[in-house]
Amino acid sequence: MKLTQSPTFKAFSEPVVKNNPVFIQSLGICSALAVTVQLNTAIVMGLAMTFVTAFSSLTISAMRNVIPRNVRMIVELSVIASLVILADEVLRAFFYDISKQLSVFVGLIITNCIVMGRAETYALGNPPVKSFMDGLGNGAGYGSVLVTVAFIRELFGAGKLFGFSVVPQVFYDHGYMNMGFMQLAPAAFIIIGLLVWLQKSLMRR
Amino acid sequence: MSDQLKSVAFTVAIALGCSLLLTGAATGLKDRKLRNVAVDRQKNILKAVGLLNSDKPPTLARIEQLYKDNIRCYAMDGAGRIVADDSGPDGLPVCFYVKDNQPAAYILPVDSRGLWGKIHGYMAIESDGKTVAGFSVYSHNETPGLGGEIEKPWFQKNFVGKQIVDGTGRFAAVGIAKGKVADAIPEDRQANYVDGISGATLTGKYLTGGLKDVLSEYEPLSQRFRTGRVALPAGS
Repeated sequence: MKLTQSPTFKAFSEPVVKNNPVFIQSLGICSALAVTVQLNTAIVMGLAMTFVTAFSSLTISAMRNVIPRNVRMIVELSVIASLVILADEVLRAFFYDISKQLSVFVGLIITNCIVMGRAETYALGNPPVKSFMDGLGNGAGYGSVLVTVAFIRELFGAGKLFGFSVVPQVFYDHGYMNMGFMQLAPAAFIIIGLLVWLQKSLMRR
Repeated sequence: MSDQLKSVAFTVAIALGCSLLLTGAATGLKDRKLRNVAVDRQKNILKAVGLLNSDKPPTLARIEQLYKDNIRCYAMDGAGRIVADDSGPDGLPVCFYVKDNQPAAYILPVDSRGLWGKIHGYMAIESDGKTVAGFSVYSHNETPGLGGEIEKPWFQKNFVGKQIVDGTGRFAAVGIAKGKVADAIPEDRQANYVDGISGATLTGKYLTGGLKDVLSEYEPLSQRFRTGRVALPAGS
């Protein structure tokens, strides 16, 4: 069997493209508006999110046969919250500048419906490795949307990528201006809307 | 074991496991986190006196070294005496930029109201007690692209060389003009203002007020600098 056809790989690839959590399920929009002004913050947020979804799905799936049904939500939440705090601590210790810019949004991964949603609907009913790949895929799907939006916003809003100027000075000398609107949250809303449109029309083919 | 008891036991076990993991992480990373916070503050003080102007982000160790070599911080009263307590009107936190064992500039923490939240930063005044040596902002909630421009070098650069006294030597603070200084401000007051940010009149207004408050609070100290009566505190 080819690698791309194995169920484990499918668990990863499906949420990245076909069942993208942001585009199809409209989850995680709030943070997608907030952290996509710069590529740096978007990438770090995407990685933190992928880490949390992957390992929360893995942990919960590994315990799925022993978790008592009536307290499963509480258990899921403790696992997710611990992983989020862990991610936040690591960012504060090693990427202080970026963690300052992300401010509360790392902590708010807890409230991101993608994580809880995957734990409830997938990890509780599937084996650990598949759940881990599913979490990885959902995180990557979310992260890829963030990076795309951030690329557009940083390029047109500030003329930069990763904080380095990419729009040559000649452009500015001839009257080109950065779009301040791109730096505001509504711009991300519009970009995400257009991307959903693009993705849906591509998928229909 | 009854189902209920099992649920409780399981939840307690999970909570215990999670808290042990987090306690471990928090304790293990504590020193690094505290160092980051301290270095961030030092970085902004260095920025205010113009010691960090390269675009390349400096390493933690380099910032700490620069800070150690050039900056001394104290709590002082209006007469320039060191006091133990830096809260309240009798003790103000102030940092000196020390060059050849003489204070070349002094640095005040700025804590101002903004349009959407607090603006925090530092302002450095040269040892003549009149001329602004620099200004930096390290935290704010202003609108990106409008009021948020206060964090950009182009805006902060304009403060360098401005005066906190008017032509006759009386205290006047330094403010943000509504529009360009050359158009908005009469000629004899132009040294007390910097160019405003278009579309951010309110941010400018609040920051002007905040700077005035801070500078008048430190005015007794500035006066001592103007008359040349501030020496570097002994024993440092």
